[in-house]
Amino acid sequence: MKNKILNIKNLSKSYGAFKVTDEIAIDLNFDEIHALIGPNGAGKSTLIKQIVGSVKHDVGSIVLDQEDITDLNDVERAKIGISRTFQVSSIIPKFSALDNIILSLLDKSKETFQLFKSIRKNKELDFKAKKILKEIELSDKSNILASELSHGERRKLEVGLALAMDPKVFLFDEPMAGLDESGTKMMINLFKKIKTSSPILLIEHDMDAVFALADRVSVINYGKIVATGTVDQIRSNVLVRDVYLGYEI
Amino acid sequence: MIIEKFFNKWIMFFLILIPTCGVIFDEPYFITLATKVVILGIAGIGLNLALGYCGLISLGHAAFFGIGGYITGILSFHALNDEVLFSWPLAVSGSSEMLIIWPIAILVSALLSFIIGLLSLRTSGVYFIMITLAFAQMLYFFSISWPNYGGEDGLSIYMRNSFPMVNTMDPLSFYVISLFWLLFSIFISLRLINSPFGMTFQAIKQNEERVKSVGIETFKVKLLVFVISGTITGLAGSLYTDLNRFVSPTVLDWHTSGEIMVFVILGGMARLYGPLVGAAFFIALEQTLGSYTENWQFWLGLILILVILFARSGILGLFDKKLKYEK
Repeated sequence: MKNKILNIKNLSKSYGAFKVTDEIAIDLNFDEIHALIGPNGAGKSTLIKQIVGSVKHDVGSIVLDQEDITDLNDVERAKIGISRTFQVSSIIPKFSALDNIILSLLDKSKETFQLFKSIRKNKELDFKAKKILKEIELSDKSNILASELSHGERRKLEVGLALAMDPKVFLFDEPMAGLDESGTKMMINLFKKIKTSSPILLIEHDMDAVFALADRVSVINYGKIVATGTVDQIRSNVLVRDVYLGYEI
Repeated sequence: MIIEKFFNKWIMFFLILIPTCGVIFDEPYFITLATKVVILGIAGIGLNLALGYCGLISLGHAAFFGIGGYITGILSFHALNDEVLFSWPLAVSGSSEMLIIWPIAILVSALLSFIIGLLSLRTSGVYFIMITLAFAQMLYFFSISWPNYGGEDGLSIYMRNSFPMVNTMDPLSFYVISLFWLLFSIFISLRLINSPFGMTFQAIKQNEERVKSVGIETFKVKLLVFVISGTITGLAGSLYTDLNRFVSPTVLDWHTSGEIMVFVILGGMARLYGPLVGAAFFIALEQTLGSYTENWQFWLGLILILVILFARSGILGLFDKKLKYEK
């Protein structure tokens, strides 16, 4: 229990008779990337929404760093250290890439309710934001409107927004979708680096990336976790091949 | 942005030129009209913070405009009639001093916008529009049925409230006072929209879910914007009562909310000087078209439709397409 930063037990959610998540039990260790894979509609993104608090679960408990956060709302969960990316890029379209990152830094630096200080004169925020842009290789796009960034650049910016929050855990929902080879490589290296400070629960369809990154993999199908194990265990699991991979790896 | 800044300088030039012409040609009516534009501009600048920058479509700003107006009217009425305002728990009399009336009008408007915001901001979209409208209409019907302060006929104050060492009955002096508050409102808005707080409420307008996901309590942010917005509009209401030396339930009516919204949309939402330009355009139409036809608002409606269809960023947007965050 002590080496678990995130511990989810018995998490269930139904819409009428349809069970989106069914008694999900999943955990995340320190220094770990735990990948969650499964077919479309299996309940992966709903699980992420339940963990961040934007979808209320029916039963179950969520413990983050030994604190029960089950009854906290989405903003409170973000404040105490859950940072996410969205399945479909969710950015502030009329803000520059730099301003998007600065926005993400505001709460942590207790600047949100600074009413009359100029944001442009805050060198510390500017410095931190530029450092993050460099990490996600978007330094040259700093002043470009987020709405004018390419799909891949928006995915990177989303990860940058999550990084800026300096959270306890990252929940990444298909961060590599639509990235080119170099973008994916950059993300893999970045995730390997950041997992030592904040572990990652990763939803990803790019199996090469998953197998290159994950310390553990869980497979979800029809809202249920059907297998959890190391990459090798998952690769050789017959049931996983049947429900998701559909082929021998 | 550069073109807009240039245009804003011209607006300031006209704000000085028009009353100067009024003095030179001995036409105090020009000065009174300019004062009206300035005061309605302040009301629009207040609404612009909520509507233009934060995306809160409030149809209840007449409540704040009206409460500011009624506070001024009631305090002044009691002072001029030498009657106590209330006698329990303390005997408090009215006042005809602007320096006393303004802070009270500001505080009451802030308190009212806090209460309305606290309840309304739990909703969004069309429900938010309806609930803000309902609050304003509640106050409107209350004012109609309150005979102590004139009921439907309104409340007249036979002279303007006073300001130290200034003859407030002189149109130019009152214009300067109103202009000071306009510049102050612009200054406050400018500082706000360039602050971290301003960045937050402008982000909420675009993507509230994302703002929540980075740990920002959007409800608190929206509530504070709503309170600041309502307070500025309340101050405008106070000045408006002094300008007309009269206040009536009309200022609390939903038409007033609609008119303030028209100033913002006509001039340009989320543009600092937009509501002022909108108010000037509105008054100019009222004066010019109104002299030809009683139905001048038909033409206003037509212009508004054209603006919404072809110039979504308002009149200022025609000159400069780029908004603040589109640098």
